[in-house]
Amino acid sequence: MVTRFWAETAIALFTLAYGLIIVRGATEFGIGWDTSGPQPGAFPFYAGLLVALASLGTLVVTWSKRITGRDTLSAVILDRDGLGRVIGFFLPILGFVLLCATLGMYVATILYLLFAMRVQGGFGWLASLATAFGSAVAFYVLLERIFLIQLMKGPLEAFLGF
Amino acid sequence: MDNFASLMHGFSVALTFHHVALMMGGVLLGILVGVLPGLGAPNGVSLLLPLTFSMDPVSAIILLTSLYWGALFGGSTTSILFNIPGEPSSVATTFDGHPMAKQGRATEALSFAFLSAGIGALAGVLLITALSGWVAKFALRFSSPEFFAVYFITFASFIGLGGSSAFKSIVAMGVGFTLASIGMDTVSGNIRLTYDFDVLLGGVSFLIAVIGLFGIGELLLTMEDGLKFNGIAAKVRVSDVLRTAAKLPRYWLALLRSSIIGIWMGITPGGPTAASFMSYAMAKRSSRNPAKFGKGEPEGVIAPETADHAAGSAAMLPMLALGIPGSATAAVMMGGLMIWGLNPGPMLFTERPDFVWGLIASMYLGNVVAVVVVLATVPLFASILRIPFSIIGPLIVVICFIGAFTVAGKPFDIWLALAFGIVGYGFKKLDYPIAPMILAMVIGDKAEDAFRQSMIFSQGSLSIFWSNPLVTSLMAIGLALLLLHPLQLLWRNARRLTAARAARG
Repeated sequence: MVTRFWAETAIALFTLAYGLIIVRGATEFGIGWDTSGPQPGAFPFYAGLLVALASLGTLVVTWSKRITGRDTLSAVILDRDGLGRVIGFFLPILGFVLLCATLGMYVATILYLLFAMRVQGGFGWLASLATAFGSAVAFYVLLERIFLIQLMKGPLEAFLGF
Repeated sequence: MDNFASLMHGFSVALTFHHVALMMGGVLLGILVGVLPGLGAPNGVSLLLPLTFSMDPVSAIILLTSLYWGALFGGSTTSILFNIPGEPSSVATTFDGHPMAKQGRATEALSFAFLSAGIGALAGVLLITALSGWVAKFALRFSSPEFFAVYFITFASFIGLGGSSAFKSIVAMGVGFTLASIGMDTVSGNIRLTYDFDVLLGGVSFLIAVIGLFGIGELLLTMEDGLKFNGIAAKVRVSDVLRTAAKLPRYWLALLRSSIIGIWMGITPGGPTAASFMSYAMAKRSSRNPAKFGKGEPEGVIAPETADHAAGSAAMLPMLALGIPGSATAAVMMGGLMIWGLNPGPMLFTERPDFVWGLIASMYLGNVVAVVVVLATVPLFASILRIPFSIIGPLIVVICFIGAFTVAGKPFDIWLALAFGIVGYGFKKLDYPIAPMILAMVIGDKAEDAFRQSMIFSQGSLSIFWSNPLVTSLMAIGLALLLLHPLQLLWRNARRLTAARAARG
């Protein structure tokens, strides 16, 4: 599925792009040197440049190994089963974060845990409901009652008057 | 004698009912965090940190350090019973710990692990007691150029001594530095690198990065392996523990050697993980029967555990005395210190002696408490791992995101944590080191400030870094560390060439 070669290339390209974005952003604040030392943009500029150059270094190392053919770069580091499990775990997390942003963290917690346990874990309704609601109540008591930290709330809490 | 009096004062601070109760609570939480996959020590400290904002700093640091000790112990428990390291630093414990457990010697392995870990931690704390005051006094002579030189040494040693590719260390560190510079620039007062996004005005918190990288990233990795826990049941009887303790003096040489390795790796930013591997390798190499290693040799448990904990506690020395954390967890704690309004570094010893010595005294007590608590609760925590991962995994996900939100109450942070999770998964998969990134995020601003203040002193001339013997030698050490790796490579290549030439005759 995913070989080490392509994974290395993709991550290095990603960090290369990141470094270049920082370099570009830093130039807005002056990257030069005046009598009081470096201007505000200098430090991020060189740090970003270093990231970009080191990413290029990784790219060169990866591709030269590929060309000379001496290495285990063609080894699969993520097979189909593994990828399936990662996606199956990641997509509900993405859904959870989306729900947090729209319906608030309590509703999101309950729906996410219900889904993960009932649909993905194959647990019975009773166990799933108990875990989901129990967790939400535990977070409410611990954070909002004991530590007085407000979590993100959504329309349901507004409707119920919390 | 000075230190001894201060330490006694520290004990009077730490030995209150409130603080001992916090230690026990912290250790229990820590074991839980260490036992559960995806929740390691740095992550556990990050998640708990927002809850300590309203606490008194002495209580807060006692709680967090106790959590750290607990997490180190919890990590070894799963290594031995389940062959799954709960913490990266307890990977080496699986080599001989799990075979011992499989042979029905689980209690022996656990007792050896916990007792030698306690001894290692004690060695680290003794060193801190003896040296921290002296190091801080020495560091009082430092001004900005010297501080910058010390930061430089820290980062150079990651590149020079780091196990992974130097390019990857540089990328990880540079990403940390640039993330730290987002938001307000403390020297000029400018707002930098926000790209006109209002959410970036406050900067990117290192706590969010830790939660994403260590929490979500680690969970994704765990999930990919399709984790199955096949544990070995363990009942810990007091008589067994005592019998094992009686055997421990036989391994005094291993204990001593591992403590020294651990302390060294903890003070230099090698960290506990590197320390445990190095100590295991040394024990195997110097053993009279190295063939026994990997098949259930007690010394293979004692060596990594002692070094792991010695490094963990010794990492507090540079954090307290110089303001430089020796491990990812110490970096998070140091960030916490700054949030509580304390300024880690030499001034802390004169400004807040109650805090410093209370913390050091609590390290003695906390480790004793931790050994007792962990021995008493092993069966309980082992049974937690029998709960299917399809419940535990999603619960940890929820805890991570709620924890990310509580850091600053910003909805944007949960998206950031998700992004860091994906990056963390990719980085871990390809052996990018994550600890330097966290360190760079925590001390990046301080390093930049030190550099720019030096430049203000010298009116923009770099020669200030060679202006007196102290700063010159510090910079020289940094440069030597930086060049160590490329020089080694050159040396090895040169030797290979000459060897090849000699072979050709």
